Amino acid sequence: MDSTRSGMGGALARMAAFARSEHRYVLLGTSAVAAAGMALSSRPRPALSFMAHAYGVEVVMYYALAAWVALSAVALAFKLARWRTYAKTSPFTRPAAVRALRYGSYAVCAMTLVLAIDRIAMGLASAWRVAVTADTRPEPMLESMLFMLYDSRAIFFEGFKTTVALAVFGTVIAFFLALLLVFLRIQVVDRADNDFVRFWKVAGAGFAKAYSTVVRGTPMMVQAMIIFFGVFSLFKLTSLTTTQVNGIWSTFAAGLVTIVLNSTAYMMEVLRGGIESVDAGQMEAARSLGLSQWQAMRKVVFPQGVKFAIPGLSNELVINIKDSSVLSVIGTFDLMFATTTVGGMYYRQFEAALLTSVIYLCLTMCASWLLGRFAARLDVRPVKLGSTSDQPVNVEEN
Amino acid sequence: MSMNESAVPMDGCMVRIEGLRKSFGDLEVLRDVNLDVAPGEVVTIIGASGSGKSTLLRCINLLETPDAGHVWFEGSDLTADHVDVNGLREDIGMVFQGFNLFNNMDVLDNCTLAPVTLKKMGKAEAEAVALAHLESVGLADFAHAAPATLSGGQKQRVAIARALCMNPKIMLFDEPTSALDPQIVGEVLEVMRGLARDGMTMVVVTHEMEFARTVSDRVVFMDRGVIAEQGEPEQMFTEPAHPRTRAFLARYLRS
Repeated sequence: MDSTRSGMGGALARMAAFARSEHRYVLLGTSAVAAAGMALSSRPRPALSFMAHAYGVEVVMYYALAAWVALSAVALAFKLARWRTYAKTSPFTRPAAVRALRYGSYAVCAMTLVLAIDRIAMGLASAWRVAVTADTRPEPMLESMLFMLYDSRAIFFEGFKTTVALAVFGTVIAFFLALLLVFLRIQVVDRADNDFVRFWKVAGAGFAKAYSTVVRGTPMMVQAMIIFFGVFSLFKLTSLTTTQVNGIWSTFAAGLVTIVLNSTAYMMEVLRGGIESVDAGQMEAARSLGLSQWQAMRKVVFPQGVKFAIPGLSNELVINIKDSSVLSVIGTFDLMFATTTVGGMYYRQFEAALLTSVIYLCLTMCASWLLGRFAARLDVRPVKLGSTSDQPVNVEEN
Repeated sequence: MSMNESAVPMDGCMVRIEGLRKSFGDLEVLRDVNLDVAPGEVVTIIGASGSGKSTLLRCINLLETPDAGHVWFEGSDLTADHVDVNGLREDIGMVFQGFNLFNNMDVLDNCTLAPVTLKKMGKAEAEAVALAHLESVGLADFAHAAPATLSGGQKQRVAIARALCMNPKIMLFDEPTSALDPQIVGEVLEVMRGLARDGMTMVVVTHEMEFARTVSDRVVFMDRGVIAEQGEPEQMFTEPAHPRTRAFLARYLRS
């Protein structure tokens, strides 16, 4: 039952069930947690550490963790000494001891969590406070990165907005274009078609195929340059000045066109895959009722194919978030362009790239999560694939 | 060679198949098949797997395009170049081995799709017709069920109702019970018996010999792409003339 539940609630329920049950290797697992807590405790306290005000408590915690590790070592010694009869002879396997160990493991995890918050989260907060108040870039790595992020937040935000706009608009526009284009791509000549229809079907399918081959077979960075500079030259053929042309044909517009062009080709292929995975019997049944190729496609095959293609299609948004970074080659002010700008300002490209990778990761994870929710909502009635042989067979005895 | 419609000698037949040939690559599946089906007649086609039964059936509504020969349906040559195949298919119902219910629609929409799209029937009228046909196959209660939730026998009965909603003049059955558990074959055969009683013209490809024997007016035995023998069911099942028919029916002849 639980396995059918998904998402946040299901994950929490599974974690709770894991914590509540008894585990054979509870000492093995939690001794590692305890060791991590001891390691955290040995690290210097950050400025905002709250444990600094409770020195005694931390000492007690440290020795409690050490005791837990020692206890684990004793249990391990028992296990090694009485390998075969361990389950029967060890004091650690008695029910009362097992229960005590489980409660002990809760305490160990809680103490390590407190130490992790004190050292890691408060360490970040301390570094942030330093970065925000500093006038020039501080030398320590973390403070330095946070200083760059805070000091150039306007630049990062500008790039962030552009990247999100490029990815979202690009994906949405490309989706609708792909819907149109995939119809051309999958046309097959039906014997009822006259020569006019035949010609356009063949020409349309050929165009869609050629388009997909060219776009998918060349780097996006090159396409961006061809589109930006090519259209720019076309505009220059008119009487417009360079400034006027730049006003119309901006780097953002060229970037968006590049993304749409690319995404359309990939989404078209994903849609085609979805449509082709619909059982051929669906088309046959529709045709046997008298529906035309087009009617059968539109009412029966296409809706099912799009549903099959949804996971692949939503993936395209995540890809666009990442791939829009190549547009900085034509000067589109996206997150990547912002990163190289900021990195140049402080002569610190590595820190800037590290910062941006975190921002990109957050963006793509958010997008994946949102798309997962969206797909789950669309998939209100998942089609269970199966045949009659899956039906339970009741054997009558006589 | 062109034949205009008035020159076709139908002799009161509904379907006339002449010199039909079909190959898949090097494999010759149909070799010169001739068959007539009269209105109201129930014809069952039997034969070993690979003998061309299903291909012959699928040629009747042109799901397979024949390489040579003619298929006439009520005076129109389906194999002619610019014939309105879609229009003719409206009068030829078909039921498949794999049911092929539209998975993106519920049972009622499966039944009303074609009437609403092709016969320009109002939604309400089409639903009334569909419910009547679902009632006759005993599935009116499942009108709003998703196909995936039905059992095989129920799916096949819906498929029959869906075909009947177009008010076809002939029904083609392509091994309608082969994908079903033995114990639910009966409910589908019962619906088909009812159809036959009501005078529907039917061509049935089947391995259900009992059905072929008791329901059909004529049994056609196909062997390696040709019709080896055809005749009245009693004669076919008691004293078949062709040695290959005798070999194929050996199991049923004994009982």
